[in-house]
Amino acid sequence: MENLWLGLAVVLASIGALGYYAFIFLPAQLHRWHCQTLRAFAKVIELRTQGRYGDTETMAQLARAVSARLGLDAQERKRLELSVYLRDISMVSLPYALLNKTTPLSPMEQLTLMRHAEISAAMVEQIPGLSAVAPLVRLHHVSYAQQPDAPLSAHLLSALSDLMEQAQREGYEAALRVLQAGAGTRYHPAVVPAIEAELQARPLESWVPLRRSAALWFGLILYPLKDLSRLLIEFARH
Amino acid sequence: MAIAHRNQLRRRHWLWSGLLSATAILILMAAGSPIQQAGQLPLLLGLAAVALLGELLLIRYPLRHGYTDRGIWVSVSTPIVAAVILLYGWAMGVWLDAGVTFGAGLLTARLKQSRLRWVWLNTAQSVLCAAAAGICPIAFQYLLDGFSEAPAGVFANTLFASPAVAVLALFTILVVYSMINNLLVSVTVALAEGVRFGWVLRESLLDLPRETLPMFPLSLLLMAMLHLYGLTGSLTVLAPYLALRQAFILSTRQHELYHQTIRSLGFLIQRAHPYTGGHLQRVAQWGRRVAERLGLPPERCELIYEAALLHDLGKTVLDERILNKPGRLTPREWEQVQRHPQLGAEILTDVPFLNAIVPWITYHHERPDGKGYPHGLRGDQIPLEARIIAVVDAFDAMIGGEAPSQQRQYRRSLTIPEALNELRRGAGTQFDPQVVQVFEQVVQEWLPYQEGTRR
Repeated sequence: MENLWLGLAVVLASIGALGYYAFIFLPAQLHRWHCQTLRAFAKVIELRTQGRYGDTETMAQLARAVSARLGLDAQERKRLELSVYLRDISMVSLPYALLNKTTPLSPMEQLTLMRHAEISAAMVEQIPGLSAVAPLVRLHHVSYAQQPDAPLSAHLLSALSDLMEQAQREGYEAALRVLQAGAGTRYHPAVVPAIEAELQARPLESWVPLRRSAALWFGLILYPLKDLSRLLIEFARH
Repeated sequence: MAIAHRNQLRRRHWLWSGLLSATAILILMAAGSPIQQAGQLPLLLGLAAVALLGELLLIRYPLRHGYTDRGIWVSVSTPIVAAVILLYGWAMGVWLDAGVTFGAGLLTARLKQSRLRWVWLNTAQSVLCAAAAGICPIAFQYLLDGFSEAPAGVFANTLFASPAVAVLALFTILVVYSMINNLLVSVTVALAEGVRFGWVLRESLLDLPRETLPMFPLSLLLMAMLHLYGLTGSLTVLAPYLALRQAFILSTRQHELYHQTIRSLGFLIQRAHPYTGGHLQRVAQWGRRVAERLGLPPERCELIYEAALLHDLGKTVLDERILNKPGRLTPREWEQVQRHPQLGAEILTDVPFLNAIVPWITYHHERPDGKGYPHGLRGDQIPLEARIIAVVDAFDAMIGGEAPSQQRQYRRSLTIPEALNELRRGAGTQFDPQVVQVFEQVVQEWLPYQEGTRR
């Protein structure tokens, strides 16, 4: 009898381990890989534009944290993270001189720049595995006053894009103040406090992009566990 | 493709199908009717139902170096068939495999848009595979206790006296099954597509371990459960099977991701630099041929192909006014252009599956005499792959393949013999002599094709 229970336990444990590997660990790993790959595309833009190096990675981390705080579902959070890397992809097709212009832009040049969200979305749509991300990319400069019914993730992406852009020029405090001033008009009222809270919990200067390290591999194992625990907590709540 | 050639292919294809069908029918006749399999019909039907489910949840598994980009369909009913062959003899395995393949083929014919004759061809192939795999336990039995006229199934009982032999036999069955399957599918694909049989076979053989190894534990578990608990026991296999299937799907998606990435990055480069169409493709193909000639392993040759496609990725970052400048560059502009190998490497450092090609891209403008950039490495310090890309890229630039001629007015493009002379002159200083020597042979092979196609 004892042997039977032991055998049953072994079988259940191995099935559980396999299930964890195939349905939780592997998808998470695939998502990591996907993000690391898209980092190549983001890097092209970062290197092409003076003074932007490294900000995509910071923004991706910030987006990950804030979207969890806002309670977006896992699928939406993944899509948001991918769109952070892809949002400015069309800037490869903008002239180098325009991207790095230090003097104020002419109205014509501003119009050219404003189309980049649309063109990026069109480019992303061409990639079969990423077409689901395209709507988010298209809305990554959405304004709350004009489209209040856009998805929350788009509003978050829009606020974060502006935050990063301002922060390059004037630092994070000033950028955050601009965000607070625009809450409810330019930015979604729920998004700004969440970003603020996240930045207070962890000041942005400490968000050094992780290099390939033991911590990353460790995180690769722990990252899906975090999702699992959140799932269990949500399950218990209902 | 010429019409005569196509007709010839079609004739060969029909001949091959006929041969397969005839052999399969002979084997089925030798196996005898499945109803006569002493009282095991319910078991056979039950297993067929499980296997059919597996076959309907079939997974498209990509080729590792996809030049056909079609992939192999890994049937996950194979582990079930292998276990049945070992436990109940080859005749039952053959009937099970034939029935399941045919049934699943009919059910999915609409979905996969395949013709009925393909379904039949698949069935014939599976019969042949199962029969070939069925020889294995007989061979084992012969090795163990000499040849005897034991009925099917008795073998399994003597076999389980020593589990190690059972495991080994199961493994052999799986390997033989997959190998024969690969062989037959390669012939069929080669005949249908008109590609060289050897290439298809090589590619499918490279995938053999990745196909077989995941099936093995599944098959082992199934065999143990069947042996101990009968048909109900075999149902416990469904859970790990679904997990395995999920793992396969994700690995497929990862593979697609890899190809999409390379393709998209390639488009980015095309935009950054006004190459004449085909420069990157030519460089990539020549690079692969040279690597093959130098005897590098196939997966490395494939990586050189990708690296050669992406070697100028750094130029996407540079100011296009410098890249498109018609005249000579000023020293400052030249300094900018010299950054492109390192920029390309920087872009690719974080891409998980392209780690290996980062140094090749960094050093593709180094020279054996140490006068290259960015680091001025010498001789063997430069990776061989980088030396290959350097030679091939320089040659195509010399014959005017790199940029439209009006943009390089100060530099007349050379004829092919002139360019080869130039390579020979630079061997040892600018280029690696061994690579130049091999590349000359590659160009000689390419010349006849080139005459007709280029302006």
